[in-house]
Amino acid sequence: MSYFERALVAVVVIGAVSGLVGSLVVLRKRVFFAQALTHGTFPGAVAAAALGVAVPIGAAVASVVLVGVMLLVSRVRSQGAQVAAGIVLTGGFALGALLQALLPDLPIRAESFLIGSILTVTEADLLVSGGVLLVVVAAFAAFGKELLFSTFDPQGYRSAGYRGWPMETLALALVAAAVVSSLPAVGAILAIALIAAPAAAARLLMPTVGWIVLVAPLIGAASGVAGLVISREFGVAAGPAIALVACGFFLLALAARGVRRVHPRSLHVPVETAEEAIAR
Amino acid sequence: MSLDQMLFGAYALPFMSRALVAMLALALVAGLIGVLVNLRGLEFISDGLTHAVFPGLAIGFVAGGEPGLVIGATVAAVIAAVVLTLVSRAGVASDSAIAIVLTGAFSIGVLVVSGGSDFAGQLETLLFGRLLTIDAETIPLLLTVCALALALAWGTRSRQLFRAFDPVGSEAAGVKPLATDLVLNVSIALVVVAASSTVGSLLVLAVLIVPGAVARLVTTSLLALFPIAAAFAALASWLGLSIGFGVSVGAGVDLPGGSTVVAVFVAGYALVLVGRLLVDRARGRAIRGAGAGAPQRSVADAGGVVA
Repeated sequence: MSYFERALVAVVVIGAVSGLVGSLVVLRKRVFFAQALTHGTFPGAVAAAALGVAVPIGAAVASVVLVGVMLLVSRVRSQGAQVAAGIVLTGGFALGALLQALLPDLPIRAESFLIGSILTVTEADLLVSGGVLLVVVAAFAAFGKELLFSTFDPQGYRSAGYRGWPMETLALALVAAAVVSSLPAVGAILAIALIAAPAAAARLLMPTVGWIVLVAPLIGAASGVAGLVISREFGVAAGPAIALVACGFFLLALAARGVRRVHPRSLHVPVETAEEAIAR
Repeated sequence: MSLDQMLFGAYALPFMSRALVAMLALALVAGLIGVLVNLRGLEFISDGLTHAVFPGLAIGFVAGGEPGLVIGATVAAVIAAVVLTLVSRAGVASDSAIAIVLTGAFSIGVLVVSGGSDFAGQLETLLFGRLLTIDAETIPLLLTVCALALALAWGTRSRQLFRAFDPVGSEAAGVKPLATDLVLNVSIALVVVAASSTVGSLLVLAVLIVPGAVARLVTTSLLALFPIAAAFAALASWLGLSIGFGVSVGAGVDLPGGSTVVAVFVAGYALVLVGRLLVDRARGRAIRGAGAGAPQRSVADAGGVVA
């Protein structure tokens, strides 16, 4: 395989994983959490590069630690999930930069972590992201119903006799896996675009959750391919091009929904009481 | 090197005193705007603004050279603040919309600078800043913009607090939600602009998020939040700069100034967090029960996670 063909396969796989997991992230409103993970895995990647271990392994270890820290902080009175994500994000980034300063002879340059370098993706990277895709698809096939039930109605899910934490843990693990596998394509800063934008676009247009879960990975893969082609044709960096195409899909979806909004079924329900009128 | 020299003597050097002045100004910002960010839950919007300023810096630099930096960044920041305010008020999946706006803007910035020769250097300067090489001329600018942002937030403080604690009630009482949000977001954006060309976007994000969170851990009194956050930020900045200086000069390991300060911020937060947990455990009410009656800010079923 030439380097470009390898990159094409990689963006299709990574785009599909990101879109699929992104629909969970968007529907569960975990975008800032995912953003913190993308930034926080930076020191793990640097440490792995320094130790000569595969970068995804370092990032995966870092993400397990970060999920633990965020769960702890978000359960503390007066702190909450936003604070937890903010702390992990800044702390992780600072730690990564410090590690880089302390270990000047790293084989990989900083900006390839930050904005990705899809054209230098290796066969090993391909195997990792392919494995992640299989795991994610298997998880959706086996636990799709439970995942979606717990996403839309956490209280109802628990009342129905299920316990909340297995699905929450599964969702977090899938998000962490998607973040780790998307790092080579778009890097730590832009990974969140490939995770959030395709799912948010699908959510705007698709009538049911099933359709969102089907369409988001397609948009993700299409963003990857289009971004890669644009990057080759115009000689620009691939990571930002992929991220911009994904954002473009979201804008298109927003425009399409604006056109469709005149449909009477989606008109707003009129305000019923004075109290509700004030609340608006 | 003696401890005394590290903690005090170092600041006789002009570049160290300039860095300290910049950080003390940002500590005041942390004391007011950082606390408001925490109370209003605007951490993600702050993160979005630090990224969205990047294309402004890049385009400003390409179009107008060094003086174009601040102008471009200001324009980009104000546009981003307005867009993010409108987006987050639209309510529909606001966190995804913020993520898309910020990465879209950031991608444009990266594409603009990727044409330049020193692409990696510019990106790293923006992210991690150059705290120790601030020009003497940019200090007055930084102080002015911080003062302006502080004045905006201070002038609307009672409205901001009312809206933070009772959005519906404040609206009924005549506080305009759009104007209130816009003022706070624009003042955050101004701080981001002033700081991103000097101390870097990572450090300004830490200043906006960490001290407010520390203050929330330390006290439940509203009025005490502001001085505690400012004092924590000032103390951590001073310690961070001193440690960075001591290690770089004393041990010969070249630590980046901004990242060292952020690391001290986060380490300080971790210390306070552990202290808080120990105190709470001693009082027998360590951690909130599984999701029951969890307040809105505890967010996202976190209660159910470990339950």
